[in-house]
Amino acid sequence: MRTPAIFIEHLHKSYGDLVAVDDLSLEIQRGEFFGLLGPNGAGKTTTINAIVGLVKPTSGHITVLGLDAVRDYRRVHRLVGIAFQELILDGSFLNVREILVYQAGYFGIPPRRARAKADELLERFGLWEKRSARVQELSGGQKRRLVLAKALIHDPEIVILDEPTAGADVEMRLQLWEMLQQLHAQGKTILLTTHYLEEAERLCQRVGILHHGRLVSLGSPEELARERGQAHLEDVFLELIQSEQA
Amino acid sequence: MIGFLTLSKREVVRFLKDAIDTIAPPTISVILFLLIFGVGLGSRLGDVHGVPYIQFMTPGLLLLAIVRNAFLNPAYSLFQSRWYGNIADFLVSPLSAEQIALAVLLGGVARGMIVGALVLAAAWLVTGVSVAQPTWALGYALAVAVAFAGLGCIVGLWTRGWEGVGAIDTFVLDPLVMLGGVFYSLDMVRGVPIIEPLSALNPFTYITEGFRAAMLGGAEAHVLIGLVLTLALGTICIGAALVLFRVGYHLKA
Repeated sequence: MRTPAIFIEHLHKSYGDLVAVDDLSLEIQRGEFFGLLGPNGAGKTTTINAIVGLVKPTSGHITVLGLDAVRDYRRVHRLVGIAFQELILDGSFLNVREILVYQAGYFGIPPRRARAKADELLERFGLWEKRSARVQELSGGQKRRLVLAKALIHDPEIVILDEPTAGADVEMRLQLWEMLQQLHAQGKTILLTTHYLEEAERLCQRVGILHHGRLVSLGSPEELARERGQAHLEDVFLELIQSEQA
Repeated sequence: MIGFLTLSKREVVRFLKDAIDTIAPPTISVILFLLIFGVGLGSRLGDVHGVPYIQFMTPGLLLLAIVRNAFLNPAYSLFQSRWYGNIADFLVSPLSAEQIALAVLLGGVARGMIVGALVLAAAWLVTGVSVAQPTWALGYALAVAVAFAGLGCIVGLWTRGWEGVGAIDTFVLDPLVMLGGVFYSLDMVRGVPIIEPLSALNPFTYITEGFRAAMLGGAEAHVLIGLVLTLALGTICIGAALVLFRVGYHLKA
């Protein structure tokens, strides 16, 4: 049996009395397009931050392609690219191209290859014309694409995207969906968190629905809809959240 | 290694690209000290320990420039990266906690030494001061820069707001340095209430006296005492900074 891309076992994270993630166990297979859904505060961001080591689990265990996410964090980081929900960009003194070149450098990519890789991504994400611009000069959509390009600079096997289309207009959302589908077609494992159920339904092979830090449902969007006798994932989601609250 | 070098380069480029705010002001303020206290008032003080006052105060001012700049660079760089969130760029990369700490530290050392070199050049132009023991003086300056860059790393991780860095600078570093023999030696303040006991208790006094001895030529004992104190301070600060990076203090939730 192949080692899963991401294996989460009894993950628990609490901040004092607040439980952010409650005994979450989850397996995401290699090459899978997986969606983590849930309302605000469900524990989606905490979970993905735990995978990349930005959150220290209170208990539980995470492996990435068989590597322990805490003990082997340096090797894990080479395998994972993450695009955060906030448009975090080191733009105080670097221009768009430099942001990508430096990011490549942090991943150990030599300067010449880093510049070539940065240029390739700038072209691919329609940012070439903006390569010398400061982050402040970019539109929201351009920043979003730059964040995604940054996550891909080291050609990771696993791509984690936290609300990648939050705040995007319809045209940009469609563009980003196409880019994500292309990445998936290249064989990348994709873990996506989203509020947009249509996005999950359209892109994800399987979804996990989190509520109050607990996994309340897991399966393909079609399976979940069929099991609950609903037409769409959105109806499943609302039913689950309402039943949890009742 | 490429990752470490890239982050080190980032830390240096960060302050060089903004040299008008990072390099120029401290250099100019120290040059003003030299001109006003050294050339202006110093000419009325005559020789101190066998050298003109302006030359006597030059090592202290040089140290002051190195200390403040080596401290401020990592402190502001780290806090800025935490504040804007781009610290995550390094934290999700394959860089180890130690590599991140050392790269940030190197940025502080580089800024301290660059400002120090500019101040030395200005002092040479103004006072004609020369360095009696260049190897000792350079090693000493580097040790001081490393120690205070280590302190800057700690403060950059510890502070929860921009004012935290300024507060340490104003309430800790300034009194430490100003009462640490930049403008006088311990002999000059014998019997002066408050100043003498504070200066005698202040470890920075011995660090300054040691650096002055290395620069102007003086008792080897002074050089060694100061150097030992500097190395002890550096070991403590770097050790503490490494521990904080390793546990992810204010870096990981």
